Amino acid sequence: ARRGTGTEDVGKTDTGDGKEKYRGLKDKRLELKKNHQKEELKKEVDLEDHKLSIKELERKYGTNIVTGLSSTQAAELLARNGPNALTPPKETPEIVKFPQADGAILCWIAYGIQYFNDKSSSLDSVYLGCVLALVVILTGIFAYYQEAKSTNIMASFSKMIPQQALVIRDSEKKTVPAEQLVVGDIVEIKGGDKIPADIRLLSTQGCKVDNSSLTGNLTPSLRTHDNPLEAENPWNKMSTSPVGTATGMVINTGDRTIIGQIASLASGVGHEKTPIAIEIEHFVHIVAGVAVSIGILFFIIAVSMKYYVLDSIIFLIGIIVANVPEGLLATVTVTLSLTAKRMAKKNCLVKNLEAVETLGSTSIICSDKTGTLTQNRMTVAHLWFDNQIFVADTSEDHSIFDQSSGTWASLSKIITLCNRAEFRPGQESVPIMKKVVVGDASETALLKFSEVILGDVMEIRKRNRKVAEIPFNSTNKFQLSIHETDDPSDKRFLMVMKGAPERVLEKCSTIMVNGQEQPLDDSTAEAFHTAYMELGGLGERVLGFCHLYLPADKFPETYSFDVDTVNFPTSNLCFVGLLSMIDPPRSTVPDAVTKCRSAGIKVIMVTGDHPITAKAIAKSVGIISANSETVEDIAKRLNIPVEQVSKRDAKAAVVTGMELKDMSPEQLDELLTDYSEIVFARTSPQQKLIIVEGCQRQDAVVAVTGDGVNDSPALKKADIGIAMGIAGSDAAKNAADMVLLDDNFASIVTGVEEGRLIFDNLKKTIAYTLTKNIAELCPFLIYIIAGLPLPIGTITILFIDLGTDIIPSIALAYEKAESDIMNRKPRHKKKDRLVNAPLAIYSYLHIGLMQALGAFVVYFTVYAQEGFRPSALINLRVEWEKDSVNDLEDSYGQEWTQYQRKYLEWTGYTAFFVGIMIQQIADLIIRKTRRNSIFQQGLFRNKVIWVGIASQIIIALILSYGLGSVSALNFTMLRPQYWFVAVPHAILIWVYDEVRKLFIRLYPGSWWDKNMYY
Amino acid sequence: MRRQLRSRRAPAFPYGYRYRLDDQDEVNQNYLADEEEEAEEEARVMVVHDLEEEEEEEEKEEEEEEEEEGQGQPTSNALWQKLQIVNEHLWDPEKRMSLARTGQSWRVMIRPFAHSLNFNFNVSEPDTWQHYVISLNGFLQGYNDSLQEEMNVDCPPGQYFIQDGNEDEDKKACQFKRSFLKNCSGLEDPTFGYSTGQPCILLKMNRIVGFRPELGDPVKVSCKVQRGDENDIRSINYYPESASFDLRYYPYYGKLTHVNYTSPLVAMHFTDVVKNQAVPVQCQLKGKGIINDVINDRFVGRVIFTLNIET
Repeated sequence: ARRGTGTEDVGKTDTGDGKEKYRGLKDKRLELKKNHQKEELKKEVDLEDHKLSIKELERKYGTNIVTGLSSTQAAELLARNGPNALTPPKETPEIVKFPQADGAILCWIAYGIQYFNDKSSSLDSVYLGCVLALVVILTGIFAYYQEAKSTNIMASFSKMIPQQALVIRDSEKKTVPAEQLVVGDIVEIKGGDKIPADIRLLSTQGCKVDNSSLTGNLTPSLRTHDNPLEAENPWNKMSTSPVGTATGMVINTGDRTIIGQIASLASGVGHEKTPIAIEIEHFVHIVAGVAVSIGILFFIIAVSMKYYVLDSIIFLIGIIVANVPEGLLATVTVTLSLTAKRMAKKNCLVKNLEAVETLGSTSIICSDKTGTLTQNRMTVAHLWFDNQIFVADTSEDHSIFDQSSGTWASLSKIITLCNRAEFRPGQESVPIMKKVVVGDASETALLKFSEVILGDVMEIRKRNRKVAEIPFNSTNKFQLSIHETDDPSDKRFLMVMKGAPERVLEKCSTIMVNGQEQPLDDSTAEAFHTAYMELGGLGERVLGFCHLYLPADKFPETYSFDVDTVNFPTSNLCFVGLLSMIDPPRSTVPDAVTKCRSAGIKVIMVTGDHPITAKAIAKSVGIISANSETVEDIAKRLNIPVEQVSKRDAKAAVVTGMELKDMSPEQLDELLTDYSEIVFARTSPQQKLIIVEGCQRQDAVVAVTGDGVNDSPALKKADIGIAMGIAGSDAAKNAADMVLLDDNFASIVTGVEEGRLIFDNLKKTIAYTLTKNIAELCPFLIYIIAGLPLPIGTITILFIDLGTDIIPSIALAYEKAESDIMNRKPRHKKKDRLVNAPLAIYSYLHIGLMQALGAFVVYFTVYAQEGFRPSALINLRVEWEKDSVNDLEDSYGQEWTQYQRKYLEWTGYTAFFVGIMIQQIADLIIRKTRRNSIFQQGLFRNKVIWVGIASQIIIALILSYGLGSVSALNFTMLRPQYWFVAVPHAILIWVYDEVRKLFIRLYPGSWWDKNMYY
Repeated sequence: MRRQLRSRRAPAFPYGYRYRLDDQDEVNQNYLADEEEEAEEEARVMVVHDLEEEEEEEEKEEEEEEEEEGQGQPTSNALWQKLQIVNEHLWDPEKRMSLARTGQSWRVMIRPFAHSLNFNFNVSEPDTWQHYVISLNGFLQGYNDSLQEEMNVDCPPGQYFIQDGNEDEDKKACQFKRSFLKNCSGLEDPTFGYSTGQPCILLKMNRIVGFRPELGDPVKVSCKVQRGDENDIRSINYYPESASFDLRYYPYYGKLTHVNYTSPLVAMHFTDVVKNQAVPVQCQLKGKGIINDVINDRFVGRVIFTLNIET
């Protein structure tokens, strides 16, 4: 009798990968003993429950597999061990620091003191305090909003817990929330369920488990008892069971499950600061340094010039406010999210905004193979029969190889019949390649291959009724089935077999050539081995096929085959041919890899696959370029031992997980620097972490792709973790900063392009934003030193920073690249700063000073036209600000009351504001490019810039004419002619910058280029 | 030639609009006063709009004129001179108006100077009021009769003292003698009444270039108790007795050319004020179109101060 379908299955071929990963995992754990959390993980996996018999288990957990736990026991355990849920990581609330908060408080204190001195003192300090407080609150809300958007791994882990579990308690089947499961519970799992906790299998019925979110291996594999470490009978929480039913005992709950351990490992790996965050911090340090040093310097000057300390504090606030680009945080965030949206359209879903730029500065990409570089589907690539290798390309016309041969007829029959995979019903209209198949990857490939070439496979199978079958298992390494033939006159049974080629060949005594059986001699065996090696060398998975017609006399139609006793011959078969399969690379990948290379990005492949397969794929996608060789290749070519090959000659290296395990960090560093093309094969997902750390030691910005739960530590550790949108597990997606919606490597390249563009554009934005700081700062300095009436008020400055300048600085994010940004090296983390000395100097001291000058011209014009000539303004401050002086004489003998002067001062503010605004328009236009002329870039290509300019003008108009009557805002209605005073200065700024760019283009590499290019 | 043509016109008003007067002596005061009132209400923007229209007009005129006279004189030179004038005097010779303007209504200020406008003194303690006397004396030095007679002209009262001619020509100033202030001149009573508890306070209007008080109608000064019992001040004497600012002191041409200009004053002699208590006093300008109730600027057309005389 045949064994019922169920507890054994093909697909062991794929579990091999999984085992390797597990092995690597363990090795890695041993290495990292110093790491406490990893240590815990190690302990966890060393459980021995799978070795125990059911009786021992019952004893250990104090349960009964038939009656289950009693309710009281369960409640007790629940109280003792806590619910079966992952504890969310403790969130340390970030205390957001607000420099302006102190400013606001200082302002109110200042007002308080002023109020006690003089009850009628003006409310200016209060207004300033309010505005600063408002800025603080807005910034706070903004920061909070960003925080809220940031990822939380735990949130999704807990979502993965199934709501209900079927559990046997008090001899009854009960449905309880999965959270209430305790150790020792007996649970029943149906097909499609998620496993609620770590369980030890007690019995199964045709049940397989998809453990992909743990191992990254997508093939459902049956958990049997054969390998202790792989613990085939414990199932892990969060795995899903696609088919069948099973009963098991809960052995671990909550954080003690394997997934809980990995989750804590992932959250234990500190998320590195993104490069852009580092850059912004660097920028903040510069700005804060400038602000604080100038502020304190002038505080000292002010005090020594006998200003009141209170006044000096207000000056200090003014200087700091003038220096702090209040709008920059919002600008950067909006800029990044605009790019994120743009990238989302290109299938890069950015979860962490800052990661947008990180991708641009990436210098090493550690890429997965399966799914990312390849299509993640096995495809028949080659056939070998009649002593010839044929290329099978099912995507094109399949008449490429000779199908007339009788060997092919036999081979195709074996391929069709010796296959358990089936199409899921109800998809007749779906193209063959896209049909969903029930079966493992290799069988799927074979099924689709035969369906394409031969037509309706199911029909053929129906005509050749299966009478017996030995499914694949890892000991036999072959699969066998016995069929009736479709020839009614031929009463013989056909036995077909496929399996590992060497095993299949052992069982054969003849070989079919051109449809004729020939004895298998040494020369044909030699030919077989050559072909096998060749196909294997291509990294393809090779299967051998053979058949045997059982003689009708010995095996009549009524013969009962017994697969347990094997009452039929399994040797002296007729070898028919070889077939090899591969997961082909995606068509867009080679191009994308070339682009990465020209962009100076090193692409490293990290895979759990066999080194030969890995190398073959690496070669076909260009990760190992056509003309580079590994040490082994050179050794083979020169026919010398590997040790004698000079390592310098080899550009490429293929390193296996085992080799990696024995490497010291120094050796890994050496490996990473010496070779430009590296493939890591047979690595565990955990080893990815080591590789990432190694790359980061080289000061590289590392992008890592991954899909399994085990990848999540590496994804977190990487500067930018990229998860696969289709194949990726939720845990990986959560740990990642970016999700590739189409799992396509090429999408990373477009992401890199966007990331680089955003870095350039942020530079422009910051240059634009910094420029006006000088124009805002100079008034205070001159006010303190020369005693002019204050040219611009603090609130007015805030209106520039948070009003007129916001939309233009965002508009720069829409600027197109000036040159091919994919043809330059990735920026060096420590050398190519966002804000460098030339940028600061050019913005502050060149354009900034010009702008300050222009704004002062407007200011002086207004005062002069109103009667105060510039000479009269010098040292006027004390008289000007005295409330009791109400007949201050101007240059023309006119007399001014205090309120008139105040009004004129506000007019001065407005004039200065308008002066800066007009020049910021010019500044905006010149910032469109850093090297090219504006006319090369096109003045109108970026329409958003013009929206920005329009917004500037409109906001200024509203402030002056609309809100000119609100005295708290210190704006007045400015006479129209004053709006044009700064125009010549604006034009001067434009011309100046064009000249700068011209010299940069004319004399690249010169002193000018080095100091004027930012 | 051109300047002569221009000089027939009255000087423009500095706040953006201009009355063309065929003959300055035949000012239709009522008409103009009405206009003024209207104009007061106009926003600045509107005023500038008027200006622009005018500018176009002027340009046409200018072109014609230059065609007539333009032989031989290099235009650039004339332009340069014009620029010089504009630059130095902030005076637009085309529009005949000053570019520097402080406002459209009179502000007032008082002397002696007192911090936060509280006059607290004790009659029997000279130390408490001596600084007022010194301040007043100092302020009135420029009004000494001898100095005024020497420097300034005695011009006919009751009408504007309009002086045409080049913008950079020095203007004459009308005399305002210290003796006009009678009992508050400090000539007879060198303590300006402070020693007797009858303080003198001088009131002046802040100078505005080109601006004229209510077009032919002198501005009067009137003081009363601002809050509280009206009878706290039983009598005030004003000097000059008219309690007004004579028209002959206007317009003011600016200190560059109107060098010896002395602001006209009105002295308020508080001869009978309730003693030993703070009396808030409000002195207002009275006249057609005078604004004296602005909240923001407490010196527009009025001044509020406190008298607290102790005995």
